[in-house]
Amino acid sequence: MSQGFRARERTVLHFNVADFAVAVERVEDCRLRQRPLLIAPLQAARAVVYDMSEEAYREGVRKGMPLRQATRICRGAVVLPPRAGLYHKAMLAFFKELQGYSPLIECGQADGHFFADVTGTHRLYGPAPDIGWRVRRQARTGLGINPIWTLGTSKLVAKVASRLVKPVGEYIVTAGEEEAFLAPLPVAVLPGLSVRELEQLRHFQLTTIGALAGLSRHQLMVPFGSRCDYLHDISRGIDDTAVCRPSTATATVDYEHIFADDSNDQEEVEGVVAALVSRAGSSLRGRQQVARRIGIWLRYSDGGPVIRQASCKNGTSGDFLLNTMALAALQRAWTRRTRIRSCRLVCDRLQRQSPQLRLFPEQEGRELREKKVLTAMDALRSRFGHEVIGIGRRIAKGGRQE
Amino acid sequence: MFPLRVRSYYSLLRGTASPQALCRRAKELGYSGLALTDRDNLYGLWHFLKGCTREGLRPIIGAEVSEPGSGLVVTCLVRNSEGYANLCRLLSRRHIAESFTLREDLPFFASGLLVLCRDIKLLAGYRRLGIAAAADLGAYPDAAARSLRLFAREHTMVSVVSPDSDMADAGDRELYCLLQAVRTGSTVSRTMQEKTLQDIHPLLGPEEYQKRFAIWPEAVAATEHLAATCTFAGPDFGVIMPPWLGADGRDAAAVLREKAYLGAQGRYGNDLGEPVVERLEHELRVIETMGFSSYFLVVRDIVHRKGPDGKRKKRRICGRGSGAASLVAYCLDITNVCPIKYNLYFERFLNPGRTDPPDIDIDFSWDERDDVLRDVLGDFEGHAAMVCNHVFFQPRMAIRETAKAYGLPGYEISQLTKRIPWLHGSGADSLEESLAGLPSLKDQDLSPPWPEVLALAEKLIGLPRYLSVHPGGVVITPGSITDYVPVQRATKGVPIIQWEKDGAEEAGLVKIDLLGNRSLGVIRDCIAAVHAGGGHLDETTWQPEDDAATKMAVAEGATMGCFYIESPAMRLLEKKAGTGDFEQLVIQSSIIRPAANEFVREYVRRLHGGAWQPFCPEQGDVLDETFGLMVYQEDVSKIAVALAGFSHADGDGLRKVMAKKDKALKLANYRAMFFAGCAARGVAPAAVAEMWRMIESFDGYSFCKPHSASYARVSFQAAFLKKHYPAEFMAAVISNQGGYYSTFAYVSEAKRLGLQILPPDVQKSLFSWFGRGRQVRVGLQSVHGLSGDFLGRLFAARQKENFQGVGDFFQRTRPADNEAEALIHSGALDCLAPNCNRTVLLWQWASFQRAMQDSRCLSLFGVRLPPAPPLPGPDRRSCARKEFASLGFLCDDHPLRFLKPPAGVSAKVSDLPRLVGRRVLLAAWLLTGKLVSTKSGEVMEFLTFEDETGQVETTFFPKIYRTYAHTLRSGRGYILEGLVEVDYGALTFTVDRLTAMR
Repeated sequence: MSQGFRARERTVLHFNVADFAVAVERVEDCRLRQRPLLIAPLQAARAVVYDMSEEAYREGVRKGMPLRQATRICRGAVVLPPRAGLYHKAMLAFFKELQGYSPLIECGQADGHFFADVTGTHRLYGPAPDIGWRVRRQARTGLGINPIWTLGTSKLVAKVASRLVKPVGEYIVTAGEEEAFLAPLPVAVLPGLSVRELEQLRHFQLTTIGALAGLSRHQLMVPFGSRCDYLHDISRGIDDTAVCRPSTATATVDYEHIFADDSNDQEEVEGVVAALVSRAGSSLRGRQQVARRIGIWLRYSDGGPVIRQASCKNGTSGDFLLNTMALAALQRAWTRRTRIRSCRLVCDRLQRQSPQLRLFPEQEGRELREKKVLTAMDALRSRFGHEVIGIGRRIAKGGRQE
Repeated sequence: MFPLRVRSYYSLLRGTASPQALCRRAKELGYSGLALTDRDNLYGLWHFLKGCTREGLRPIIGAEVSEPGSGLVVTCLVRNSEGYANLCRLLSRRHIAESFTLREDLPFFASGLLVLCRDIKLLAGYRRLGIAAAADLGAYPDAAARSLRLFAREHTMVSVVSPDSDMADAGDRELYCLLQAVRTGSTVSRTMQEKTLQDIHPLLGPEEYQKRFAIWPEAVAATEHLAATCTFAGPDFGVIMPPWLGADGRDAAAVLREKAYLGAQGRYGNDLGEPVVERLEHELRVIETMGFSSYFLVVRDIVHRKGPDGKRKKRRICGRGSGAASLVAYCLDITNVCPIKYNLYFERFLNPGRTDPPDIDIDFSWDERDDVLRDVLGDFEGHAAMVCNHVFFQPRMAIRETAKAYGLPGYEISQLTKRIPWLHGSGADSLEESLAGLPSLKDQDLSPPWPEVLALAEKLIGLPRYLSVHPGGVVITPGSITDYVPVQRATKGVPIIQWEKDGAEEAGLVKIDLLGNRSLGVIRDCIAAVHAGGGHLDETTWQPEDDAATKMAVAEGATMGCFYIESPAMRLLEKKAGTGDFEQLVIQSSIIRPAANEFVREYVRRLHGGAWQPFCPEQGDVLDETFGLMVYQEDVSKIAVALAGFSHADGDGLRKVMAKKDKALKLANYRAMFFAGCAARGVAPAAVAEMWRMIESFDGYSFCKPHSASYARVSFQAAFLKKHYPAEFMAAVISNQGGYYSTFAYVSEAKRLGLQILPPDVQKSLFSWFGRGRQVRVGLQSVHGLSGDFLGRLFAARQKENFQGVGDFFQRTRPADNEAEALIHSGALDCLAPNCNRTVLLWQWASFQRAMQDSRCLSLFGVRLPPAPPLPGPDRRSCARKEFASLGFLCDDHPLRFLKPPAGVSAKVSDLPRLVGRRVLLAAWLLTGKLVSTKSGEVMEFLTFEDETGQVETTFFPKIYRTYAHTLRSGRGYILEGLVEVDYGALTFTVDRLTAMR
């Protein structure tokens, strides 16, 4: 009783398929296993590397590097175009494997990263390490991929451990050993630190996690301000964040287009935004939701993203209003003349579409006609695929879109 | 039809064609004349007039005048000379007045002008005031033209068609869109979408306008009638001399004579010898005949400016150019070498046959030059302005701007442009081909859209981009300067005329060059430091060229940091010559020029007693002083006079044409004249060919003897100071910046001179570097990123009281984040916390910043910094890396010490003299390089490397250069492998293999 209430130690398994896209491609074609592999858009003069195999990495190829440079560095590499659908399918398949062991599974977007909280499943599936072994075996035999698995008392510890065994292996950190496990490791293995924070740590010669843990919260406040609590906790292996499965009801609608050749052609970029809007609109209507805010995330060829948003009070799922909002956000975001590498459309502040009809239906006129068109298009797409039909754009004299 | 409104590329970023191209096009289209109307300027006036003369067109001078902010534009055409002066005044007002409107300002200057206008309100106003104006219908009979025509008919005004063109032909549309993208900061794709063919007008043939305006044929016919009223064919001012303000009714020639004799007595004593008097008389006679007396007096007044006390004080100057050949100038104390002692040729400066006005060039210390200009522009306010430079798109700028308009990211553009060497023009067909052939771009990726970018950039090269200020050219006119030429204000605030130096010369405006010279600042600061340290140097009796130790240093090539003679090529030549004589130095500094390599070798051979004969007996003793070789510019004139019987004026013309870029045609004429003249005098054809080859070696830049002699004197002064006061001298060299080498290289040189480099220190360092005895203290100017405001706060705070600690320092100087970090990394704060390492100092800076955000830490007595945690200091290597990043050099070490050479590389530069004739592996740091072209047109490079023990000059022959050019970056360590050689005592290292050190 003197110890008071004590929360049960959590058991978190982390699975990480190194170079996920490459791993999936190699499952598809086993001849690729013997050769370095680059994933990048083909037939584009200015394509950049999307993913690469371990061999290519060792030769100096990095994500985002121009493909021409990468192929010069790694001369024997096979180049394949990215196949987002295939990677998504593989993620789902792995997800299904894991579902057999825990309801709490968290995964990233087509990156081969999974967390499974297996706390308290001992009686059902045996000790947690056994689950790790078993999942890996199943993944190898069933899916043909060989994930790293690591075990820890939190997502943080499991994640750090996975970085030690990349590209293949397993690592178990037992409860109570977290701090000792982390202390000798370099700070760069800690997740969630920005480039600037890592730079500051180097600045102050705080090269190991142990050295970081040697500073009090108050001292960490000096260089890191409000981030001191986070740094204080992770340097000691403290991480209370839960493994949570994303709920479809609250999840945002999010589509991205990566330009094979970066572009600053207004017509092309606006065309891409319209295509993303069309997908997002379809998705929202399918979920019977409306979005009250649209965000455009542009990534220029030379650096970080620029995000600008546009919102409407009542929300919409219609392509026409969504497109107007998206173009308004695009105009705010696109202020430089440097080419754009990718464009992402995020619809959030979602809410259920009101089933209530208008009091004066005759006022709806144009809106009703648009709705009918969209319903017909959705019906066609559900049968023949999304690409079968789209909304055309008219370019007026002087290049303005109408 | 007469084209009355045509813009050339001088309507900066609005037009695509040069005035000459427009003239050619107008001729092709069958026009009898052309009006050039650039936007708010007459930049292209002289090119236009030349183009019209060449094509036999009748020129009409004009300009479009725009109203800032409103978008209103009218076209002003000059009808007579009054109209020309008024147009200059109007354009000057448009650029200089704080507010300018076409409605209110134009009427004051309308006399002699014909105004074409597209705005009905303006047109009505001008009509009321009786201004000669016509309705400009533009290039299409559209709705706006229709209303204009109706208005004009109602008010009995003339309507005219105008091409309103930006291009010579429609094929330039893409280039035009690119120019718009550059001008507005937009992209080519966007401009191409926005601009339709209707918006861009090329110059079309008369029948096209007749067809378009078939419904209003009178508007086409009116162009001819209006053109006939514009009879002004271009300004003709004659030579315009600056007025002398101190005349007070006295005759300038008499005053000049008096001052010259007075000065001569000061220079040569009361008893002037016959040669001095004879020469003075000769010069004064020529000067008076040619009307240059007031010009000399104006320059004298600039150099010897009257102070507030009414006394004249001489500024530190160095007369340069051909003016230094004048004894009158020497006696007026505006040049510093005796033309009689050094046998300087006065006719090079002024001769009765010379039709173009010569100019006197004076160097002032670089940091005093702006004051001199301010004084001159102030004294002659309204009558003086600086000459401008028309800055044209060069390959790098054209590629950069085009690539930006194509949206390529900055790093990608820099990757290419930074590696394009200045040496350009490989003879390849296109820019893409010539870039692909550059060795330094061997690994460059030129995949799409680069080919498209380069093809368009190539069209951009040679178009004017903006106006800058000429380094020192000032024009002073007797009347208001805006009567002669439009004046505008440069970004730095000075008034500039709209023509560059060639245009000013065409107009007859005599220019005075007041230039900035870093080395005069170096000498001034060094002498001040010597005096401050208790030393004494009397400049009035100072004869550095007679000092044995200085001569020895020059003979050894130990002249790094010395004005004009510090380049590797020059120092090698000094070593090979091994004399250190003033006369030889004058020759050496002239003979080193791009196209004269073989003559340099021949000079050294002949200097060391090698046999030589004059090429032909007819040359007499003209070149005896320079061992039979043509060294100075005036040698060209002298030889042309002696061998081919040229007149002095023709000889001078040939000399002058050698320095021009666009000389092919004129040079061919002179060549024919030279060969014919020599043949007539019976000179042996082989000797004539050899002489002409030597004349051709003056292609590009070359110098006259007066210039070289004048500079050699400053070189000797610098060499003397370096030899006798090395710490003061090196501190002054680095403080004044702008030398041939980087600060890094000068610091290494100081170390080699046995000086100790003391690190920057916020308690002790001054802004500039400070040298005394055997120590040099780094100035805070060398810590990168410190702003002027911060340094002002620092010095003010330090003057009140020394800093008590880092907290006190931060509190009282309030540095920005980057400034504090730069100071910490450079070691400038080490003195404030002797027991702390630099990591702890960084922590304390972070603590200070946090404390400034947290009001609890603030107290009446400033910020209390909490104790820092026990952080480890950086290791020596990373500490040195940061110090290097902050300063650009290391105070105690050489960066090579931190790079590990592979096994077997043990030789040092100081060992090389013992290894002559052997192959050597050497680890060295690249300082600088010079690209040269071989006889066969191949590129090779001479590179200067150093290590802790010395400097070595290396040669990369074409094949080796092609192999390694793309890996060469100054400020990096390399392993060199090659052969050590020696030539006339000078050591060189011919490299055949190179590896970059990591």
